[in-house]
Amino acid sequence: MAEESVGERNRSNAFVVTARKRTLQKVAKTAGEGMLFSVAFFVAVVVLFIFYFVARDAIPFFQIRGFSEFFTSSNWYPADEPGEFGALAIIYGSLMVTLGSAMIAVPMGVAAAICLSDILPFSIRQYAKPVIEMLAAIPSVAFGFFALVVLAPLMQDHGGPMLMWGWWILVSPFLLLSVIVISDLLTANIKDEKRREKRHWMLLIVLGLFSIFLLFKVGSVLNGIQILTGTNALNVSIILSFMALPTIVSVSEDALQAVGRDIREGSYALGATRAETIIKTILPAASSGILAAVILGIMRALGETMVVWMASGNSSHIPEPWFNYLEAIRTLTATIAGDMGEADQVTGSARFHVLFAMGLLLLIISFISNLVSERIVVRQRKILSGQ
Amino acid sequence: MNIGTRKILDRSFTAVGIGSIVVMAFALMIVVVPIVYNGIGAVFFTGTVEHRKMLYSEFKRGDSQELSSEVASSNRYRAKVYEMLTGFEAELETMAPEKKAEYQSKYSQVRTALQSLLGPLPGDPEPMLTRFKYGQTRWEKAEEKLHDLLYESKWDNSNSSVMSKEYFVSRAIGFEGTSLVRLFPYIKDNLENMLLPEFTFYWGFITDSSVDSHFFGGIWPEIQGTFFLAIGAMLFAFPLGVVAAVYFTEYARPGFLNSMLRSANSTLAGVPSIVFGMFGLAFFINTMKVSESKSVIAGALTLAIMILPTIIRAAEEAILAVPKTYREASLSLGSTKWNTIATVILPAALPGILTGGVISLGRAAGETAPIIFTAAVSVGSAIGLADVFSSPTPALSWNIYNLASEHEAAAQLRHVQYGMVLALVTIVLLLNLSAIVLRARISKKLKC
Repeated sequence: MAEESVGERNRSNAFVVTARKRTLQKVAKTAGEGMLFSVAFFVAVVVLFIFYFVARDAIPFFQIRGFSEFFTSSNWYPADEPGEFGALAIIYGSLMVTLGSAMIAVPMGVAAAICLSDILPFSIRQYAKPVIEMLAAIPSVAFGFFALVVLAPLMQDHGGPMLMWGWWILVSPFLLLSVIVISDLLTANIKDEKRREKRHWMLLIVLGLFSIFLLFKVGSVLNGIQILTGTNALNVSIILSFMALPTIVSVSEDALQAVGRDIREGSYALGATRAETIIKTILPAASSGILAAVILGIMRALGETMVVWMASGNSSHIPEPWFNYLEAIRTLTATIAGDMGEADQVTGSARFHVLFAMGLLLLIISFISNLVSERIVVRQRKILSGQ
Repeated sequence: MNIGTRKILDRSFTAVGIGSIVVMAFALMIVVVPIVYNGIGAVFFTGTVEHRKMLYSEFKRGDSQELSSEVASSNRYRAKVYEMLTGFEAELETMAPEKKAEYQSKYSQVRTALQSLLGPLPGDPEPMLTRFKYGQTRWEKAEEKLHDLLYESKWDNSNSSVMSKEYFVSRAIGFEGTSLVRLFPYIKDNLENMLLPEFTFYWGFITDSSVDSHFFGGIWPEIQGTFFLAIGAMLFAFPLGVVAAVYFTEYARPGFLNSMLRSANSTLAGVPSIVFGMFGLAFFINTMKVSESKSVIAGALTLAIMILPTIIRAAEEAILAVPKTYREASLSLGSTKWNTIATVILPAALPGILTGGVISLGRAAGETAPIIFTAAVSVGSAIGLADVFSSPTPALSWNIYNLASEHEAAAQLRHVQYGMVLALVTIVLLLNLSAIVLRARISKKLKC
């Protein structure tokens, strides 16, 4: 060996690899790796445990009461003797606020993500990102407090005017835009330039007057609405959409960034405007990633507890008519949070186990949607890298 | 489509995108501004002499001489009120029975309003609850109570098609012809002399424990409980998370097992927070019996599981961001893989890992749902470090809910609730802000 040839045998044997040392190293390496692996495996064990322990307390409910009542009845009287455990209205309430928040958060979130990835210059993007992170960081109970103490009284006292202003601000720009586009599209086929101009203006005026009429009519109807309770599905949907937005924005921005620069440049080279490039080439390419973002955002809204507990009114019934967002509702998460305290002492009763059944339902929904969104992301990555 | 329309569409598309970001910033403002504005009111407000009395007798703070001279001067003005009351009581005795009964009920309403404004009246028995021992400690509340005293609120149900409307009737009219009618203008004119309002900086709101379930005093037990829970969760989750991230980035080989572990990680990240609470109850408390019932340790363990995936993900990203050259340089110098990780990669990735840790700390501090069944109590004093294994604790997030939704006097204690929300939001946003600053510095460093 090299050291021996130098002649000083006992200078250092740090670099001498004896057989014993090699086995020791191997053992240490395997042990170390095994330890690391077991820690990483711990996460999987936790997931299994969560499923097991929630299911363990959920299954007795179905043994006692069967499946059909839970999913088909909306009579929720757990405190009665014997209790009724129809969770249909509660499940419906959960779906309702989830859908409501998705309707607000998805268009806004995707638009914001497009803006962040393709439109804004880097200098502004630097300031926009912390805003989104802050919105994500605000604790849910603070949002719930805001919904209960600030938004609910506002809605109760000025519900009609608020709805009207919302309608005007949100709808009027889009209506204006669609008037311009429709009149343009309808006159595009006319060859004679003078006639086309004349038709175009006529259409613009007619459609414009019609849309203004529509705006006023619907606005005045909305203005007349009196919201009986400020703690309702609309209130919760708005706040939940604030909470789902950061997830949707950041995940769909990642998806948009993953679409390569060459695709964008190709589209620009063919003479498309930026909007056309984004809508016709980038969005389709990123669509699956955006879908994953939407699923994750929706799950955030479905699993949220504090906001719905504080501000949904907690009344277990299906609104009349079914799409009435101005009524109080009750959700799965809020029911679990609210009833556990009363049910806890009587471990073994259906009242305790029904809450775990609800938890299991939430867990299964979140598990499936997570898997789906993950698969979608993996597939998109494969497709994009294959191109 | 003609080119003009296409241009308009393009512009408006940009406008929609920018608009939605503006709306998001606006939403942040709308939520944060009232919280900050009203939350500051919990610490800086116009306090009355009752506040100073309360501070002195509950917390032994304040100058006793100054206080007694203030009390004396306010009592000079109050004496006249008490005089009027005794005068009217004597007058009541001389009245005809039915007239007496009529006035009696009105008079007892006046007395109740006066009690809540000025504290116990002479002749009242010593109140059992601390909340009745003092009058209004805050001047703006005192003004509200003054309005309650001067006017009786009634509801107008005459038109059944619209919601009934509230309107006010002066109480003085009800006492026309009796000696008590002089009381109302007197109180209106002299309330300031009776309560001596003065700008107050109540720093004790942060450091005092609450008196009589948050009627007076501060929020220290909640703040401390939040710290205990969040830091406890970090103690469990942070080492585990970093080690798991090292495994995922350095040792894991692609394959079924690895993808399964990753799926497990993202599943854990997606579990609704309330389900973590149920799991904590079913596993840590009912099965493992880490404690008899709710305890800080059970809550911290539950929170630890919740923030674990976030920490793993952040640590993974930080480790992957370490330039490959670092690793190669270290390996080429002859160090082992483990040595490289411990002495080169982890130190280089440390700021990034810390960023993730700080954000998770904020998340653990802000979460409510997992601690409802595992750690939180509504009323309680600050617990010692030795009690974390056995006793539950109040925590900011849970007590905000409890105080705003379940407390019997929720509407009267808005200032305390706002103060708590502000404290929680400040803690969480400061943690996040420091993470953002930290990250900006890292990216600068990596660029150079």
